[in-house]
Amino acid sequence: MNGARLQHRSRVRGARRLGSWLLRVVQSRQRYTTGAVLAIAAKDLRIEARGRYAAGMAVPFAATLLIAFGLSLGPGRTLLEATAPGLLWLAVLFAATLLARRAWESEAEDGALEGLVLAPVDKSAVFAGKAIALSVQLLALEVAVLAMVAVLFGLPVAGNPPVLAAALVLGTVGLAGISSLFGVLAVMPRSREAVLPLLVMPLATPALIAGVKATALATAGRGGDAGAWLGLLAAFDLVLAAAGLLVFEQLVED
Amino acid sequence: MGRAGAAAAAVSLSRLTRVFGTQPAIVGVDLSVQRGSVVLLRGPNGAGKSTLLRVIATALAPTYGGGSVLGFDLVRERDQVRRRTELLGHHTRLYEDLTAVENLRFACALYGADVRVVAEALERVGLAEVGGERVTGFSHGMRQRLALARGLLRGPELLLLDEPYAGLDAAAKTMVDQVVLAARTAGHTVVLATHEPVREGLVTATVSMEAGRVLREPATVPEPVR
Repeated sequence: MNGARLQHRSRVRGARRLGSWLLRVVQSRQRYTTGAVLAIAAKDLRIEARGRYAAGMAVPFAATLLIAFGLSLGPGRTLLEATAPGLLWLAVLFAATLLARRAWESEAEDGALEGLVLAPVDKSAVFAGKAIALSVQLLALEVAVLAMVAVLFGLPVAGNPPVLAAALVLGTVGLAGISSLFGVLAVMPRSREAVLPLLVMPLATPALIAGVKATALATAGRGGDAGAWLGLLAAFDLVLAAAGLLVFEQLVED
Repeated sequence: MGRAGAAAAAVSLSRLTRVFGTQPAIVGVDLSVQRGSVVLLRGPNGAGKSTLLRVIATALAPTYGGGSVLGFDLVRERDQVRRRTELLGHHTRLYEDLTAVENLRFACALYGADVRVVAEALERVGLAEVGGERVTGFSHGMRQRLALARGLLRGPELLLLDEPYAGLDAAAKTMVDQVVLAARTAGHTVVLATHEPVREGLVTATVSMEAGRVLREPATVPEPVR
């Protein structure tokens, strides 16, 4: 009994310490400028709206990927339906790396990245702005990808729309965050282009698995069982957001 | 003004060295630039002028040595330095898919400057009529002028100009001179690196560099503007 009580007290102390640490992190980010975050996100979305990179490149890329997978799996309807959630998320992951690369390329074209680094704002604002803009672009792209998967693979998207939407939003935020965080490395001096997929693909695996599982359950009409996977996606997003806010400055500063 | 106002030197560097890999770009630089002065950096290609300006702007960290800019430590207080300093370098740092006005408004958001100064800044560099056009259609000279306008948005106490005359016509070069003179009149400091001849009376001191080293210290007392 005493042992259990001690364990409980220890857990409470641990939780308090974690809470206190998080509070200190938030307080240390007082310079964090919401205006700068929104300005960076709006700037990226405006550039995307004018360049139409997502519509012109990422959507055709996702369509080609889905068709290629569909052809390689053969005509069996059951197999196509079973693999559809996985193919949906693979298409989104590949599109996320493409779009993140494009977003950072626009910063590298005429030294704009140095301008962001030299701006007197917390560098985590740059990460947050980039991730928000990429999330919006990915969510727009997912509407098209979801329609393609429904038509090509017979995925029943009307199974449990709220759970499916939650899975897509939570998974998208995570993938956008991780792609934005490491996307900057692809355009840094002395770095290589391949660094983005090499870092993003393995680190995105937890979000990919949870996204696939939650999507499969939602489309099978068993959305009530997807709680744990949605929780994992939310936890992934929180950890990634905290990591991004803390380490992004180290990635971009000399 | 606080500490920034109390410091006599706008730039004070001590044994500053910057190495890229194993290649030193600047070596043991000791330099003092007085507030309100306009200092001309001279030297052949590869002398280390651009690297020195980028270290002063905190775009690059010193490998060894250190110093202060406007009274703030180059490494520990780089955000304070950045609030007061503008570097106009080889890259214009503009977004091609945005208009001139949108580029300047974005800079205002990052630097906390008032967006109402955008129109005035464009007017000063002669781009008021093309403010609504995308930068992708701008010539090199127009981009340089727009970058200069961005530098004027917040009236930096220290203006660092790296080859500001490159690719500009005579009128645009005169515009750069006017910006430098206006900064000096306002009591701000300018460090200018160029290979081109500068207008008489524009600079108050000259610093020569060669092979990453400073050959001569600048004059300590600024001359009046003629």
